[in-house]
Amino acid sequence: MRRLFLKLFRRRRLDRDLQAELAFHREMSAAHHNPIPLGNAAVIREHAFDLWRFTFAENLGRDLAYAARGLRRSPALVLTALLSLGLGIGVNTAMFSLGVEFLFSQPSVRDAGSVVLVRVGGNSHSPEKIIDFIRSSGLFADVAGENEETFANFNDGAETHRIFAVYTTRNYFTALGVPMLYGRGILPSDPAEVAVLHYRFWRKHFNGDASVVGRAINLDGRLCTVVGILPEHHRTLLGFGYTPDLYMPSYLDDTVLAIYARLKPGTSIAAARGGLVTVAKRMDAAIPMEWKYEDNLSVLPLAGYARFRAEPELQAVGVFFALLLAIVGLVLLIACVNVASLLLARASARRREIAIRLALGAGRGRLLQQLLADSLLLCVLGSGFGLALSQLTARLLARIQLPLPIPIRLQIQPDWRVAAYAALLTSFAVLACGLLPALQSVTESIAPDLHRERKLRLRRALVTAQIATSVIVLATGFLFLRNLVDSSAISPGFDVRHTLRADVNLPPASFKDPKKKDAYIDQVLHELAALPGIDAVAAARLVPFTDNTTFGSTLTFPDNNQKVRTYFRWNAVTPGFFGVMDIPIRRGRTFSPADRVEKVVVVNRTFVQRFLAGRQPLGTVFRWGDIQQPYRIVGVVDGTKTITIGEEQQPQLYEALDQIANDRLRIQFVLRSAIPPALQLDAVRRTLYGLEPMAGAQVETMYSSIGLAFLPSQVGAVLLGSIGVLGLVLALIGLYGVMVYSVVRRTREIAVRIAIGASRGNILRMILGDSARLTLTGSLVGLFIAIFVTKPLAMFLAPGLKPADPLNFASVLLIMMLTGLSAAWGPVRRAMNVDPNSALREE
Amino acid sequence: MGKSAAPTLLQGTLDLLILHALQRGAMHGYAVAQTIHLLSDTVLTVEEGSLYPALYRLELDGAISAKWGLSENKRKAKYYEITKRGRQLVAQQQATWTRLSGAVYRVLAR
Repeated sequence: MRRLFLKLFRRRRLDRDLQAELAFHREMSAAHHNPIPLGNAAVIREHAFDLWRFTFAENLGRDLAYAARGLRRSPALVLTALLSLGLGIGVNTAMFSLGVEFLFSQPSVRDAGSVVLVRVGGNSHSPEKIIDFIRSSGLFADVAGENEETFANFNDGAETHRIFAVYTTRNYFTALGVPMLYGRGILPSDPAEVAVLHYRFWRKHFNGDASVVGRAINLDGRLCTVVGILPEHHRTLLGFGYTPDLYMPSYLDDTVLAIYARLKPGTSIAAARGGLVTVAKRMDAAIPMEWKYEDNLSVLPLAGYARFRAEPELQAVGVFFALLLAIVGLVLLIACVNVASLLLARASARRREIAIRLALGAGRGRLLQQLLADSLLLCVLGSGFGLALSQLTARLLARIQLPLPIPIRLQIQPDWRVAAYAALLTSFAVLACGLLPALQSVTESIAPDLHRERKLRLRRALVTAQIATSVIVLATGFLFLRNLVDSSAISPGFDVRHTLRADVNLPPASFKDPKKKDAYIDQVLHELAALPGIDAVAAARLVPFTDNTTFGSTLTFPDNNQKVRTYFRWNAVTPGFFGVMDIPIRRGRTFSPADRVEKVVVVNRTFVQRFLAGRQPLGTVFRWGDIQQPYRIVGVVDGTKTITIGEEQQPQLYEALDQIANDRLRIQFVLRSAIPPALQLDAVRRTLYGLEPMAGAQVETMYSSIGLAFLPSQVGAVLLGSIGVLGLVLALIGLYGVMVYSVVRRTREIAVRIAIGASRGNILRMILGDSARLTLTGSLVGLFIAIFVTKPLAMFLAPGLKPADPLNFASVLLIMMLTGLSAAWGPVRRAMNVDPNSALREE
Repeated sequence: MGKSAAPTLLQGTLDLLILHALQRGAMHGYAVAQTIHLLSDTVLTVEEGSLYPALYRLELDGAISAKWGLSENKRKAKYYEITKRGRQLVAQQQATWTRLSGAVYRVLAR
């Protein structure tokens, strides 16, 4: 305190005082005939003052101003450095914000840390009476429920849209405390006919008109009053950027809900779980089921890191993000090396200045600090630029509507975590860019020529490292590119070029009766088939890549009494399905309306190979689980891929759609068109709307609907491919800089060589050879590391593609050699045009 | 000049010597240097390059205080005076120094 006070108030007088004191000291020395002390008055002042000043801050300010003045004179350097660092830091923070948002986001509820996800009896969703039971036990402060992924049909007066609704218990909004933009949440006292709209849905369909609150909208044929609008950055309990269109109270008896509870203050998750055991025991006594609620209880945290730790699947995704972060980290490293090498060149230009300052008594530490100011300034500016860039890219990325079956929009907002990460990267970059050049220039003042040699060697080492790093990044990018090409070549097993599909969601109230559903399907098939240009139509429960159901059951074959535990993909289709989809029927036939007497199935060839070893499949009869009536195989088809394009062919079993209990409101139609399917979309939409105005239908070409299958490799290829190109460009800049420098330095040598008779070819070989040596060394080191680094990527790749793919590595090597050549081109021309007369005279 | 053979002061001992000199009463910088020089039988020479930074540092630490006065030859000079805190510091550092130098002496004597 006292020091601060002294420092603040005595600074002005300090200089005058010290001058007077020193003068007095010398006078006294002279008077006493002592030798006048050989002190450097300026140094004494510096030392004495350092104590009395806010030295660090004042020096920093001065250094930064000086660095700014110096850098203003070399705009090319500043531009290159800012671009390199900006891109490097930008890509890193963008990736980081995506990862943080995806893995650690907090749902938009009051005190998210005290909200938990509850499961009883191992069920992810339970009926509302179970929620009421848990709530009345008083174990939690409150209990609410939601069904996240339900379809609803929204009629805007002209068209019916299939939208994503979240069904909730009435107390959902009050129990969780969800922030609203306009209006209010659903209240326990509300009737069933209310709805809360999501911001995006509201913008899209109501143009952001706040007066929609209080109005009624048509949902599933019911008039529901809009009571509130959710804010733009509403994050659902489900997380992962899931963005539903609206929330409404659950009103159907058979709706099951995920249970969310708020812990009582001071209760731990473990304690709540303990209490839940008792509640579940009472539940088992009150509501007897075939299984017990007491088994497989879980209480899971919902937000942030606690959730991440509790879910192993999330950790796997975390590993993927860590991998991406490591790769973009390498790009930043390349960028830093570039800047370091630029600063190194600049330092050699300032050699005289630094030597003079050292001679005048400047401390090495002080000089180091000043030289670091250069890189500090560049890095801070660069990261500012990068942060802006990353917010832009993250937002653009989040805006891209991914071809996913559910609406996903990540809310990318800068927060303290992203800012902290950017600051960390910046300080790393300051040291990475600045320390080496600064140390070099401070130590080099003695025997400068010797050091110049060492400095060039250092720069060459840096460039080699840079090339090695870009090889690693590029190899990874290439791997994903190959993956994309390879997986595009894989056939999904059905025709995607001449087909389209309509995904229809029927309104629940008017289609309770399965007969009515069957009648509707027949009518749709009939009317769609009558459209001009439509060759064939079929209905199916599932269309591959948009939906799937997998059964694990025991099949019993009465002919040899063999019981087989099987695992197969299931579908139920109308007879025309295989024809429309162009799935070849290898043996037997498809379903026929005559199949009324017995249950029949069509299986794929993998099913035959897996479960019917060597038997004649046609006519084989089996029993499925406990079902009494036997099934007969009437046909064998090639089958399709179902979830990802790269998956191995799985056993498939098709049932006839009219033979199953039609208990589902979602039904899909597939159509085969003689003209390009995109031209049929409107006609199909109109036909469906005419038949049932209250049914929401999503109509799209088959080609666009299988986009999801290509998503992982597409994202990987685009992301890593562009990162790889970025790294390559950065390495190119670095290599070019080194080559130019080395040619300039060797101008005299080249002139002498030309003067004593070296041909242009000799010079060309010399310079190109130099560049090739650097590139080759870097590439080999990089490839060697890449072999190990890319190993964990195997799980993301199409079958048959190995991370250590020779073709992949060969192409990367080729690209690097071309890069080396192009980087050397300018310097080579410069070297060949050296005029020995003028070059030698200059020295 | 042969001065290069003169022992240089160990790091940290200068503060102690200055404070010790100032225990004799208030004096200006030149007198502090002279006192140390004479008390060491002219072995130690305190250069102004080390003296004034040390004095400024001690003042900032509150071990000494300074004010302007008139010197014996009627010149304006800055007089330094040891404070209570300074006396405590001397006592502490002197004990440490005695222990240390005794130890060094013992090592070298054996």
